[in-house]
Amino acid sequence: MSRSLAGDVITLARQRPEAPALLCSGAQDQAVSYAELVEECERVGAELDARYPDAGRPLALQAAKSAVALATVLACMRAGRPLLLASTELGRDLLADLVARSGCQAVLGVADDALTHRPVAQPDESLPPVPEGTSLLLTTSGSTGTPKLVPLSGDAVDAFTAWAGTAFSLGAGTRVLNFAPLNFDLCLLDIWATLRHGGCVVPVEQDRSVDPKYLIDLLETARPEIVQAVPMFFRLLTEAGVPQDFPSVRDVLLTGDHVHRSVRSGLSRLFPRARFHNVYGCTETNDSMLHTFTAEEAAALDVLPLGGPLPGVQVEVLVDGEVLSGAGTGELLVRTPFQTTGYLGDAAKDRFPVRDGRAWYRTGDVVTRSADGGLALVGRTDSQVKVRGVRINLEEVERVLNSHENVAEAAVVAVPDPAAGRLLHAFVRRHDETVTGLQLRSYCAAKVNRAAIPAAFHLVTDALPIGPTGKVSRRLLLERLA
Amino acid sequence: MTVKHDITAHIIAEYLPGTPVEELDSSYDLLENGVISSLELLRLIAWLSDRYDIPFADLEISPDDFRSVGAIEKVVTRFEGLPAAE
Repeated sequence: MSRSLAGDVITLARQRPEAPALLCSGAQDQAVSYAELVEECERVGAELDARYPDAGRPLALQAAKSAVALATVLACMRAGRPLLLASTELGRDLLADLVARSGCQAVLGVADDALTHRPVAQPDESLPPVPEGTSLLLTTSGSTGTPKLVPLSGDAVDAFTAWAGTAFSLGAGTRVLNFAPLNFDLCLLDIWATLRHGGCVVPVEQDRSVDPKYLIDLLETARPEIVQAVPMFFRLLTEAGVPQDFPSVRDVLLTGDHVHRSVRSGLSRLFPRARFHNVYGCTETNDSMLHTFTAEEAAALDVLPLGGPLPGVQVEVLVDGEVLSGAGTGELLVRTPFQTTGYLGDAAKDRFPVRDGRAWYRTGDVVTRSADGGLALVGRTDSQVKVRGVRINLEEVERVLNSHENVAEAAVVAVPDPAAGRLLHAFVRRHDETVTGLQLRSYCAAKVNRAAIPAAFHLVTDALPIGPTGKVSRRLLLERLA
Repeated sequence: MTVKHDITAHIIAEYLPGTPVEELDSSYDLLENGVISSLELLRLIAWLSDRYDIPFADLEISPDDFRSVGAIEKVVTRFEGLPAAE
């Protein structure tokens, strides 16, 4: 069991006790120092040791970001306790299911700056233990069913946070904005790599994360140097039309999904001194590929390249189970030093093919490799549908619509149709009304197979609905058509 | 109601719901732009046959005759009321 991360934080607390680890904004702005964080970590560690003598069985933590929550994660890492990080948005039954499947002995929470305990009445003793060396248990979003449990070893956490520290020059005092909730894999970079290298985490309060005014205030007052967030964050900022810019930011990491070109083209004004990075990764593998780009490129390209693999990362493109050697389109296969070796309980084992004795991960992302070897994301394998017998990727149609200069955002869903198999419906929000639905249809028709032209264009004025991972929710759009 | 208005209204109601009538130009390519698929073309022709009493099944027609509202208007005025072949 590797315990470097917690050990490094404890060392830092000894060397620079007063240095801020966490900058909590709000009514009473306050910084939590490394000494305070580690003191809390030790207090929580003693509490856990007293209550849960079996350190090998996982605990679950369902909490928003706070000093106590972070100290709890550190305490578990330090003691080698596997910790399931559960979303605060999980319904009770879903949480109970995850807790049961992972054999957790209790669900921890935070109330009034103190840890709360909800012991599991009758844990299933017959469950196999989590893999040796497991530090964190993350979950998939569950957008296609019950969330899967992703065990991540302490070694993987250490390797990832070491890479991130080097790649983004994290050091003493580096302020890093943390937009994602505590249970997201993105926190490995913006919280855990930051703390490991002596930086200061600037957490975005989850409840206010869609309030542009709050976000702008936070950026202005906390002045982070590094910002990592999903497209929604950058859309909120660019569409707020604020006069401010944020020159403190030196690195901007776009992650989680395509960022619309109209949003990207606004980034250079908001972050005039930043380098921009397109980060590709998934919960199972963590960050895998990185493309660093300029503001000019951000505004010019419809689709950003995926970039090159991170050190120690290997990527392949799979077509019908065979590795593709040249140019073509197929599923992205990845192996990283930061990955899980499989879902807990051997769920979906086929997603982790073993090649040369090592587990890889079939990402479910369709990519295109060009003749020069560059990779670009096409869409999810599960967003492929057939319309009149023609295979179509919904995200490719979305991308075409999004490339229209008057489109603010677009999403395409497929509904069953007795004649065509599926019919596509496009939801489009325009910047203004100078373009009609028929003109958008013509624009689309010029760029895609005829079967891929949406049967219906729904012109909407409100922002498209967002799902739990900050991406546009096709499910909510489908409900509108039901 | 003129033939053109009648056809435009039908195409909007059936294939482009929600589209303002004035937006559908009579030259807009309904096939190229995916408004009417090959399956739907048969449905449209059946409606036209019925509506204007035109025995399209017996006539020499091509998809181009149904490419736009203008084209449809032309083919309808050409054949409207033509007696069915014996």
